[in-house]
Amino acid sequence: MAMMRDMIPGFELFQPADIDDAVELLDRHGSDAWVLAGGLDSFDWFKDRIKRPKAVIELGAIGELTGIRETDDGGLEIGAMTSLADVAAHPAIRERFGLLADAAGLVATPQIRNQGTLGGNLCQDTRCWYYRSGWPCYRAGGNTCYAAAPQAMNREHCVLGASRCVAVNPADTAPAVVALDAKMVIRSRGGERVVDADDFFIGPAIDITRMTVLEPGDLLTSVRIPADWANATFYFEKVRDRVAWDFALVSVASALKVEGGTIRDVRLAVNGVAPYPMRLDMVEQAVVGQRQSEEVAANAGIMAIQRARPLRHNDYKVPLMRNLVRRALRETA
Amino acid sequence: MDDVEIILDAGPKTYSRRTFIKGVIAAGAAVSASGYLFRGPGLLSARPTAQGSVERLITLSVNGQQRRVDVLPHETLAMTLRYKLGLTGTKLGCDRAECGACTVLIDGVNHYSCSMLTHQVRGRQITTIEGLAAADGTLHPVQQAVVDEGGFQCAFCAPGFVMSMAAMVATNPDPTREEAAHALSGNLCRCGDYNKILNCAMRAAELSRTTA
Amino acid sequence: MAEKTIGRDIVPPDLVAKITGRARYAEDFRAEGMVFAKMLLSPMPHARVRRIDASEALRMEGVLGVLTAEDVPEVSTPSEPILTMEPVYEGEPILAVAAVDEATAAEAVERIVVDLEPLPFALDPLLSLRPDGPDARLEGNIYHIDDDVREMRTHKWAAADFDGAPEGRLPMGEPAFDWSIGDVAAGLEQADGIVEETLIHQSLTHHPMEPRSCMAYWQNGKLHVHVSTQSAARCRASLAGMLDMDMEDLVVVAEFCGGGFGSKITAHPTMAMTALLSQKVGRPVMLRVTRYEENYIGRARPGFQAWAKMGFRSDGRMTGLDLYIVQDQGPYGRSGDAFTAATVASLTYQPEHMRFRGVSVFTNTPPRSAQRAPGGAQIIGMLEPLVDKAARELGMDRVAIRRLNAPASDGWVGPNKGSLTSAYPKEALDKAAEIFGWEERIARSGQTNGTRVTGIGVGLSPFVGGSTGFDGLLVIRPDGKLYVHQGIGNLGTHSIADTARAASDLLDLAWEDVVVVWGDSARHQPWSSVQAGSQTIHAHTRANHAAATQAKRKLQEIAARDLGGSPNAYEVGDGRIFQRSNPGRGMTLARAAERAIELGGAYDGHELDEDLHAMTRASATALAGTGLVSAAKDTYPHDGSTWSWVVGMAEVAIDTETGALEIMEFTGVADCGTVVHPRSLAAQIHGGCIQGFGIARSQKWVYDPKWGVPFAKRFYTARPPGILDVPLSPRWGALDIPDPQTPVGARGIGEPPVGAGSAAITSAVADALGGECLCRTPLTTDVILAAIEGTEKPYRPLETHV
Repeated sequence: MAMMRDMIPGFELFQPADIDDAVELLDRHGSDAWVLAGGLDSFDWFKDRIKRPKAVIELGAIGELTGIRETDDGGLEIGAMTSLADVAAHPAIRERFGLLADAAGLVATPQIRNQGTLGGNLCQDTRCWYYRSGWPCYRAGGNTCYAAAPQAMNREHCVLGASRCVAVNPADTAPAVVALDAKMVIRSRGGERVVDADDFFIGPAIDITRMTVLEPGDLLTSVRIPADWANATFYFEKVRDRVAWDFALVSVASALKVEGGTIRDVRLAVNGVAPYPMRLDMVEQAVVGQRQSEEVAANAGIMAIQRARPLRHNDYKVPLMRNLVRRALRETA
Repeated sequence: MDDVEIILDAGPKTYSRRTFIKGVIAAGAAVSASGYLFRGPGLLSARPTAQGSVERLITLSVNGQQRRVDVLPHETLAMTLRYKLGLTGTKLGCDRAECGACTVLIDGVNHYSCSMLTHQVRGRQITTIEGLAAADGTLHPVQQAVVDEGGFQCAFCAPGFVMSMAAMVATNPDPTREEAAHALSGNLCRCGDYNKILNCAMRAAELSRTTA
Repeated sequence: MAEKTIGRDIVPPDLVAKITGRARYAEDFRAEGMVFAKMLLSPMPHARVRRIDASEALRMEGVLGVLTAEDVPEVSTPSEPILTMEPVYEGEPILAVAAVDEATAAEAVERIVVDLEPLPFALDPLLSLRPDGPDARLEGNIYHIDDDVREMRTHKWAAADFDGAPEGRLPMGEPAFDWSIGDVAAGLEQADGIVEETLIHQSLTHHPMEPRSCMAYWQNGKLHVHVSTQSAARCRASLAGMLDMDMEDLVVVAEFCGGGFGSKITAHPTMAMTALLSQKVGRPVMLRVTRYEENYIGRARPGFQAWAKMGFRSDGRMTGLDLYIVQDQGPYGRSGDAFTAATVASLTYQPEHMRFRGVSVFTNTPPRSAQRAPGGAQIIGMLEPLVDKAARELGMDRVAIRRLNAPASDGWVGPNKGSLTSAYPKEALDKAAEIFGWEERIARSGQTNGTRVTGIGVGLSPFVGGSTGFDGLLVIRPDGKLYVHQGIGNLGTHSIADTARAASDLLDLAWEDVVVVWGDSARHQPWSSVQAGSQTIHAHTRANHAAATQAKRKLQEIAARDLGGSPNAYEVGDGRIFQRSNPGRGMTLARAAERAIELGGAYDGHELDEDLHAMTRASATALAGTGLVSAAKDTYPHDGSTWSWVVGMAEVAIDTETGALEIMEFTGVADCGTVVHPRSLAAQIHGGCIQGFGIARSQKWVYDPKWGVPFAKRFYTARPPGILDVPLSPRWGALDIPDPQTPVGARGIGEPPVGAGSAAITSAVADALGGECLCRTPLTTDVILAAIEGTEKPYRPLETHV
């Protein structure tokens, strides 16, 4: 009833010193627990008084969650609590996996990148304004999608991948980790499991209340970047209304291996168009083996949008996605 | 309005567990006695402390001083600074990490104090706008630069911008104008005084180079 | 002789406080026993309160009281109440709770049961004008004002009036107001070329950085309030009126204001709410207004759905202008924006014939108020691309067509063809073209670089630049310093210092010997203009000039009395009053101040001019005996109206594959009379233009039409421009031609840049798109890309809040 905002309801705060303690706390508090990383998404929920967890587990004191390490296979392992600023500035990431540095460097603002973490950015919730305003939609456990209604305001919603819910994934780093074939390392009381980035993000058809595979009790501890795409040709672009702060209207991330003008291998992912960062594997298959050209890039763009179904206010996302895919595959990219 | 029923009668007062909890919190040397915002323990935080959760009475290092303060688990740094430590130079323009008026330095790095818990900065060096000038009143090079360039209009954004400039000159004392704009891009000025603010930032870099 | 301060940069007297954290804005004050208020906001766009049950909240420990509409003065429709039992927009305050801490107050609000009966609502003026359209108010959908009648009415158009609406043509039924100059049909008939468009300008919130927080307490029968307001003295007067109390019993502290842009001109209902809640609970009360609340209660610029038809002779002269404006009024009052828009259009283009028609329709959206260049910013941003279109059709340069139609000082303005004090827009266009390099840049118009296409734009924007008739109040104290008492506000324009220069220069004082007293009504303020509408530099250089002239005369009389000779034989300079023929014969101003106190009467403020405002009299009386007191009303002659001008020129680049818009270069040039403070003037030009950029390219509301509620309530969704959205090194200039009808020669500058910034962008975007006017703001990425790609537009014809 009351539209009270900007007063955080009380909670118990836990600041565990290591991953084991954190996982133990998560297990103990189950669905009453909330994992707090940089907090930039969490505080919005708390200040809107919509999410009221009983126990907040703040990860800042866990040293092993922070930092960037070389792995034996020549890749990198990035602690989930590593700040986006550190990801954007890290020499090895910039040199070999510049795609991720670019994506992290385009998140929001300097202050947010100083505090926000890679794990937090990847795990953030959707910004659908109906859902974030506390409306009882499918994603919030209700039985309708307000954003897909005939008169609804859905300029920033999805054109692909909808299943009842039409919200989009807002994470800038998500398409980058998908394009880099990253592995997501997850800990829980049951032990550790590793999930491919492309499988980590889930759409509403799988679970309409979650953005990722993480369930209560799970903790994303690190992101492993395999050596496979080191020093590939990368392209990242984020189209938004303002140069700072804004979430992407559409973003694209690509990794290309080109030999003698021929595309030998490619990864291509877009975000802002679907409830999850969308890897365009059909397009990937279509361009592998082709000579890199404006025509191939243009056709890839057209192919990418074939199944797009815009809503009332977001037709523009279809050509925008097409053009960004084209740019990501261009020779000049 | 004759047909509107308005019930403003409280009926009998009931006593919550807060009354009980109040006796448990040792105010002592803590500044909570002079705190305004959360004078009581806060209704929702009144439940007994769970095992392993944070202690409320903590020491903060603010502007080079050690300050004992009673901090609720869900309290943001901006609120602690403004309502418990009397440091009202840190402004709240949006309380949502969107305007930068609340920017402070944590170990020299600029952060939105509206969007971090005070408990997250225990043991770290907090610098607010009040702590920038020297003890004798000598202005920080960034502040001097603003005076030299006549920066800001309404200046509600100014403390935040000044803190971001201070963070910038510490890491990049010789920025291009474009780099300075990027360094300050987490701060909003509705007066649109960006040109003058950039002049201040460039002057601040110059002063910090010559005084370093 | 002391160096004259007018024309040179100074360090504003409050700057160091602002950057060291010492400057106290409203929310920075504390009082012994202070408690907190939280408001309960309407969750519906229009409803009737059937029942309020606060019993559970009041049983909570720490809850001190609840203020409802029954506790506040009633107002008559369509005025805005302090609290309401019939909320007319989502977010309207229904009640306020005071509690010992803010967390408890918030919890208490959530425990109050308010039973609301939903009522029909209207978000779009055009829908409300349909024959069966909803009315935003139970009493009707317009407020009719004419010479005899002021009343709420239901104003509907015929179904046939909407025939062209599906194609995007503005329906134009019976107007609620209109005026004409000449015969517009004849004017358009004489034209060699006609342009005609429907134009949409959306509403947008002011969003100053500082939300309108307020702290209030009562002490010994006096109300003390710490507020965020643009206009100190006038806020006090209007708050006293709102609370129906004697101004003498009201102390207003408003030393700093974190921006207003028209949203904080005088008292706001939240100030009265806080004061009444404090009175009810018997404790000092802090109402900490959040950004979320500011979005609702913080005022907004009225949107326009408009239509314009312009006729031009082959030489470019405008023969006729036919203008229709449907104004989105929000739920309260009657905004002047549409009227001002028509007046501004008449001035800018001097059409040989003109007709203006309009209607201002209530909607269930947040209250409107003046927003920097109210009406002017909208209409200039909307019409300038049409002038471009005409220039293209006539094969004329776009600057030349503006220069041809713009007035000189013998031009006219408005339906009564009033005269101007002076006007140099032609010269401003010339200077802007020179600084911007119009000739060279225009050659790049439409050129592509990769996927980016260049557009060049120009906007010419006038606005009223000053009022007259206010009071100045000065004291020369025995310390030899000049104390300039200011009743205007301090919202960052530096007016408190800059208008004082009229006095210090006339008295030939070094700036270091001037003390500006401002912001706290307990420190004695003269009756002053509102700090709005670009009035201040004009109104208060005049008032301070008048007071300084009086002070000088008193100094001359004192010197003549003590040292002999005629008063006219004495001159002021270097802190002394001395004989012109024998400069050694004189006395210091410090000594003269002591003599004024000894002499008493008119010299030290015990006798005052008859024509002073009561507020000035009270203040001067309180200061009587503290030195040489001078209080004078501005009675300088002034014939015609005073307007300032800004020309904006922009180069933009649009990425044709993404719709992304980048402003590459910008130049703003002002005709605002004498330049008083160059650096501050540049800041006003650039800052105002940047607010125009926000209007043109990013800021708007988004309303769900089914539920009647808004979504773009946050900064990240409301999208005011950031530092990376504007050019890195914009340029500026000013003509510095004194206005002949004001002693210092300065005209106001706050408003005109907004329209110049907005129009330069709308003009440049149309240019980049090959002359296609999208005729809608804001020109967001999606709007531009949809135009380039020819896909379904992200809005429906005539649609607003989208």
